Amino acid sequence: MGKFHYSWLLTAAAVLLLAGWPLLFPDAVHFQQVLGLTCLYATLALAWNIYALSGAISLGHAAFFGLGAYASALLNHYCHWSPLLAMPLGALASVAFAVFWNWGFQRLRGVYLGLASLAALEIPKTVVDNWDRLTYGSMGLVGLDRLPVLALGSFEVDFGLNLQAQYYLLLGVMLLAAAVHRQSIRSRWGWTLRAIRENETAAQGLGVATHRERGRALLLSAYLAGVSGGLYAHIMGLVEPALVFNLHLSVLPLVFSLFGGSKMVWGPVLGAFILYPLEQLLLMPLFPMGHSALYGLVIILTIFFFPRGIAAWLPANRKPA
Amino acid sequence: MWVGVPIIFSGFFLGSFYALIALGFSLILGTGRAFNLAHGEMILLSGYLAFTLWQYFQAPFFWILLICSLVLMWLTIPLHFLLRRLPEPYGLNTLMVTLGLALLLQNLLLACFSADYRLLQPDWPAAAIPGLDMRFPWQQVLLIILALLATAAVHLVLQHTFLGKALRATIQDREAAQMAGINVNRMALAAFGLGGLLIGLAGPLFAQNMYLYPAAGVEATMIAIVVTIFAGLGRTRNILLGGWLLGLAQSAAVFTLGSKWRELVGAALLLLLLYFRPEGISLKKENG
Repeated sequence: MGKFHYSWLLTAAAVLLLAGWPLLFPDAVHFQQVLGLTCLYATLALAWNIYALSGAISLGHAAFFGLGAYASALLNHYCHWSPLLAMPLGALASVAFAVFWNWGFQRLRGVYLGLASLAALEIPKTVVDNWDRLTYGSMGLVGLDRLPVLALGSFEVDFGLNLQAQYYLLLGVMLLAAAVHRQSIRSRWGWTLRAIRENETAAQGLGVATHRERGRALLLSAYLAGVSGGLYAHIMGLVEPALVFNLHLSVLPLVFSLFGGSKMVWGPVLGAFILYPLEQLLLMPLFPMGHSALYGLVIILTIFFFPRGIAAWLPANRKPA
Repeated sequence: MWVGVPIIFSGFFLGSFYALIALGFSLILGTGRAFNLAHGEMILLSGYLAFTLWQYFQAPFFWILLICSLVLMWLTIPLHFLLRRLPEPYGLNTLMVTLGLALLLQNLLLACFSADYRLLQPDWPAAAIPGLDMRFPWQQVLLIILALLATAAVHLVLQHTFLGKALRATIQDREAAQMAGINVNRMALAAFGLGGLLIGLAGPLFAQNMYLYPAAGVEATMIAIVVTIFAGLGRTRNILLGGWLLGLAQSAAVFTLGSKWRELVGAALLLLLLYFRPEGISLKKENG
């Protein structure tokens, strides 16, 4: 029981730290922006990892991210829906793609699933790129509504322009995703996914509907990735095919989860909060070109030297989950 | 002139090059069991090396080819020793490590050469074919000749030498080959070396005929994967056939739909192939 309390204490301290620091440094706007985006990519990494819990390595999550971004942007552009409505509904486009994915790739495992997911990214990218009348093709959609202003009486919070408020919103979304992710590991369903990952035939023998459960993980994962895509569209105010269907967005969650520890509750978040600020705040000013080389190096080093990720070094996680 | 002629010519031209790209990938995958996602980036590396040699040292093209092949071969062999140390699941781990390598190379190229488009452009005259009202740049003719020569050479090595026999045995059944006294690790080393030579050869040709930019490698890798999965491992003739079919499909798509659809052709073919052959290219069923 002692360990249990200890890990709760650590989590609470980390959350307090993340929630508290902007109050101490209200003028560090650049840091708030970068850490806000860190929360966004951590959400994407958590989404990716829910699918990875079933043993699948996806290289195509940029497709879900981009579809969520585009659906939300189109709803906002043509129907003038508020981002608050467009984002959660737009993410359903990602879910629709996930249904197609789950049907098309049902017999693929391991390496071939990875290769197929890499190719799957091209489908929405090319369609969006060529459907000029709807999506404006490679020009992209610009001038999207920013995140809205929340008014409670005289108290107003502008999530679009006030970067501190935006940071808190993104932190909140990330914590929600982390709660979903935690449930996906700790619940009975989490054990189902683990069984599929470790030995699919044995899981089937125990009565696990492997195809359905893996599909569930994928749909949940796609929805969360779609929401983070929608958030991205309205934070930036624009979407472009080359921007949101970028292979880089498939690699980021993989790197974060792998480095942090893809079997740990806080692994993806830990990975994102170490690597993304390191790249953006430290390496970017030093190497304006090619600073993403960090991620490539991190993948190689992680697989060779600590394949369970750095979260495995935390005392609470010494045993694999 | 009939509209099909440029489609067929450009398909044939692209396809021969695709076969050359896929050949190295297929050898490395078949013998070394390594999914080299950095394949395209390594071709780009060789291409940029060729570009540098041409731009700053005015090296003649023959020397460029020779230097690039040897350099890339000596870069691919350490990769073999690196990948050999990976734990199981081997296929998936090589996939991720080489993905990291691809990212690393891509960013190094970006840092060294910026994102500008580069082309190695010697001022050679265009070749005319008597009787046809078409002129081909010499670069394209050279590419077709070299790609076919390299494919033929690999085919001869695989089919008519003892090394080739051992390589094919390793591709077909690793355990049985080991039992027959073949050192499969040494065969993997040979395959990486040969693959590196082919990568090095493809680089300067890439630099001459297609634009070099740091993100171009992903498409080349994708093409190598599509053709390899179509052809099966260690089947040189099928690789050539697959390359031509893919080239034809792509040039048909470009001429009829527009150049933006080209990348989808390879991806769609890969998805179709995987849908109908989910175990991919392995001769036996196994868990990748």
